[in-house]
Amino acid sequence: MTSSLQNTNRIDALVRATRLMYRMSKARPEPRQSELLYYQMLIRYYERLLKARENGDFVAAHTVFFPSEVLYAMDIAPMHLETTSWMTALFLGEYADLLAAGAELGLASEICSPHRGLAGAFSIGALPKPDVVLWSNMVCDNTAKSGELLMKITGCPGHFLDHPFQDSSEEIAYFTDELKEMVAFLEDHSGRKMDWDRLSLVVGNMDKQLEILRSIHELRKAIPSPFHPQGFLELLTVDYLFAGHPEATEYLETLRQELEEAIAQGKGAVAKERYRLMTLFLPPMYLIGFLEKMSQEFGAVSVAEPFFCQWGDGKLDPKRPLESVALKSYMIPEMNMYAPMGDRAITKIRTAAQEFRIDGAIYYADVGCRHTCATIKLFKDILDDMDIPVLTLDCDVVDPTITSQEEIRGKLEGFFELLDDR
Amino acid sequence: MAISDSGSLVPIGIDVGSTTTKAVLVDGRTVKSSCVIMSSDTAEQSARQAIEETLSSTGIPSDLLYAVATGAGGKSIPFVRQSKSIAGCLARGSNLLLPSVRMLIDMGAESLTVVKLNSQGKLTDWGTHDKCASGTGIFLEQMARLMQMPIEDMAMLSFRANSRADVSSTCAVFAESEVISHIHRVPPTPKEEIVAGIYLAMVHRILTLCKRLGIEPDIAVTGGVALNTGLVSILEEEAGIKTLQPANPQIVAALGAAVFAAESIAKEGRL
Amino acid sequence: MKQDLIGRFREVNQTFPRTREIIDFKNNGGMVFGWFCTYVPEEIIHAAGGLPIRIVGHSTETELEDGTAYFYVNNCSFSRSCLQLGLRHEYDFLDGIVGGSTCDGARRLFDLWRIYIQTPFHCIMTVPRKYTDRAHDLYNSQVKHFKDLLEEFVDLPITDEALLKSIALFNESRELLRSLYDLRRLDSPPISGAEIMEILNASFRMPKELFNQHLQELLHELQQSDGGRPKPLRIMLVGSVLTNPQFVKSIEDLGAIVVCDELCTSTRYWSDLVVLGNGLPPLQALSRRYLNNFPCARMYPSTERFDRIVALAKAFGVHGVISETIRYCVPYAHDLPLLADHLKQEGLPMLTLDVEHGTPGSGQIQTRVQAFFEMLEARTL
Repeated sequence: MTSSLQNTNRIDALVRATRLMYRMSKARPEPRQSELLYYQMLIRYYERLLKARENGDFVAAHTVFFPSEVLYAMDIAPMHLETTSWMTALFLGEYADLLAAGAELGLASEICSPHRGLAGAFSIGALPKPDVVLWSNMVCDNTAKSGELLMKITGCPGHFLDHPFQDSSEEIAYFTDELKEMVAFLEDHSGRKMDWDRLSLVVGNMDKQLEILRSIHELRKAIPSPFHPQGFLELLTVDYLFAGHPEATEYLETLRQELEEAIAQGKGAVAKERYRLMTLFLPPMYLIGFLEKMSQEFGAVSVAEPFFCQWGDGKLDPKRPLESVALKSYMIPEMNMYAPMGDRAITKIRTAAQEFRIDGAIYYADVGCRHTCATIKLFKDILDDMDIPVLTLDCDVVDPTITSQEEIRGKLEGFFELLDDR
Repeated sequence: MAISDSGSLVPIGIDVGSTTTKAVLVDGRTVKSSCVIMSSDTAEQSARQAIEETLSSTGIPSDLLYAVATGAGGKSIPFVRQSKSIAGCLARGSNLLLPSVRMLIDMGAESLTVVKLNSQGKLTDWGTHDKCASGTGIFLEQMARLMQMPIEDMAMLSFRANSRADVSSTCAVFAESEVISHIHRVPPTPKEEIVAGIYLAMVHRILTLCKRLGIEPDIAVTGGVALNTGLVSILEEEAGIKTLQPANPQIVAALGAAVFAAESIAKEGRL
Repeated sequence: MKQDLIGRFREVNQTFPRTREIIDFKNNGGMVFGWFCTYVPEEIIHAAGGLPIRIVGHSTETELEDGTAYFYVNNCSFSRSCLQLGLRHEYDFLDGIVGGSTCDGARRLFDLWRIYIQTPFHCIMTVPRKYTDRAHDLYNSQVKHFKDLLEEFVDLPITDEALLKSIALFNESRELLRSLYDLRRLDSPPISGAEIMEILNASFRMPKELFNQHLQELLHELQQSDGGRPKPLRIMLVGSVLTNPQFVKSIEDLGAIVVCDELCTSTRYWSDLVVLGNGLPPLQALSRRYLNNFPCARMYPSTERFDRIVALAKAFGVHGVISETIRYCVPYAHDLPLLADHLKQEGLPMLTLDVEHGTPGSGQIQTRVQAFFEMLEARTL
């Protein structure tokens, strides 16, 4: 079912696109150091994938939230599937052919567009064949169901990591054992041994990163917000791709320092901060640049994303590395969307709305994402009680045919008008 | 809100829709003149014509106007002072006409908008259905073509229905195929029942949106489709509520735009 | 006579959830618990003295205003339909709800139900997606946790003795359904697929004691009746939830008989027995059965499900398979390309239908089924 390995055009294009982004960021009058580091990391990530074959690297394609710490400790090259899918939409703006290829495989529109596109990308050889496919039910049925089809399309062996729904000690222990099995699977197929000391090191790094992530989250309470309007996407990507990586620590430390300096100077990320927004779920990736511009134009900054940037409590212990990786999976902000929508999640929204002095919230209702859309009414009711308006924007993370830029602009303008009128 | 504070500027609101363009001239809190015309090729042209027609009997020169535009084409008119969202204008307009209204259902040709507002006419929430035609005027027209009868006749016919035919409320395409099968059935489903079924399908779409926002009386129904008494009656029956209707349900958004114009004149006058 | 006996089940279905048997149970001081998914061991509820019933939506396609308002439009119409009934107070008599983390729709249905409908008792179990020993251990601990919570709620211990009795009763029900399905293997089954669906729908909507009694009487009658002329085409239905007998009838009316299925509300609900013995504690026997049961598309590896589908199709001599996927059901939709391949290798043609929950089978569906049947007839000739 796969085309030839030479046809690795999407990765090649991503390398070129990220290099271009790097050059553009650098050419700005006041380049943001953290942003430069961010693009450097991305360039290296995709360069490694591009040269994996000639370098004899072992490539593991994996779904979102899959603990890449384990892969780094084994010196395996990760290929984050959803992010690669989004990057394709974000930087290359090419997605229609991938979705069409997905449809040809018989994937109905029930399946979210990133996953339809991914399967399509492998089937037409737009993504290189990995050595193994790894996937888990973090964070939805789409991820849980994606792996077997990808195994078939790529002809690769694969391993499914079963993440328990709740976080009792039995469940964390079960997940730790699942990780153990995955390590054994990877050792079998890659011929590489897990370097436990290295994993301890990675876990130590991750713990440090969690601490910085939590403090960055706190810094964003400042008025005006020092963090650029759509910056949370950078934070997400850093954890998706570089969890526990020393470079990620450097990036986060630099970012934290920049934020602290901006706060000290009373400098906001937008010229005139007028609306402090809460973002719920993911904006369309292909519109990020446009949303960034709109944020500047209207002085609208996303300052709180309870399910993206608010990490759970707890410390990782390098002496118990695998348990720590398991524990971390329950601290991931998005995993709170997967966990039971209990009082904990509800309190989280309420507290964030208060502490970050939110004027309004934007709920990106991604048509392909069922479990997040099923909380729209619930979150809206919570925020309504606090007299905080919520804008629900129908959209799709990567498919531009669902909602046009003009429609989004119209609705955002209407929402800002509503906020002004209050 | 009175225009006297500001000297000579006269507030006018223009709502450029996909099929009709509306303009309303206000004096204080009363409608002085208004018009509904068919939209032309460009929004600018439509707006000019609507203004001309609204002004024709008033003797007000057009250079004294303070115009605020809204609607699908509202942003592409060069000569207006501001453009406002349709939802905000609907809120302001309905508040002036029917102050007790907290929720408004606007059924236009191509869109269904539900608006919530407070006692001051400020928009507090809104929602639209734009991914699917069912629930809009276009859907009704499509159905009228299938039924081979004018839309007005459909409304009258629906009152005679003893029961309602099953018509899908999920999707306009499904609804169409179901209506066709009702027509071709042997014996065919009585026309009045099909029409009532079509209305019911639309009502379900409308009420889903209302419930998402949380139903809050009093409720007004506006927009071109609000003139359809058969549909409104089924809506009231299904929701178990009475709805209010302004005398001219098509001009509410244009009126709201005029209210915004008056507010701006007042504000600028004070400065 | 046969029609009268089936009529008993039909009556239960037509009045559900306000079925007389449920109301009587409640009026006699009993507690009624609703369950959401086939991964909830009903025997535990029964052993606690409660009446387990399955929470389902309308069997027919209806408007889903409330369900859609809370769930948004892109969640499956089955979960929206369940919530709709709950929000409209149709399930107010429930003392508790029990769910499993089976799919996105099911877990959100549980969340929304807990928050907006506020049934007094609620418990959701983590259901692993694998069949490993570790997965069985985890699931067993979840089942035990559910039992503990329930004991606390009803303020009575759930003894092994009571569990054994309940297991025997529910196993009897499964055996009876097996005998019913065995009749469908005949060249001319004495009962149609649409009629079978009435029985299955009632099986999770009424006390098992009464259900078993009714089914025994019906089986007795059926074993003596003749199915008439054999239908040219034997069809299997696969998919998630399907509870509208009208849908099955609309297929059968086109000149076929539905002889078996792999539906969440049919075979997947009843097919496996709880196996006791070897000193296995009853709770563990229960949790083993429920995790190992005929799998939902959520389970890994999916070949487990595919192989069982093929085995059933062969045992019942089917000519073709019709798959119904409720719109926005991700696990089933995601399996379709793989399932299609799997069945193709076995020489089993499949028609896939994308439907809304409760559909009676519209003109469009019938057109597609008809074309499928013509193709099958051409093959079998």
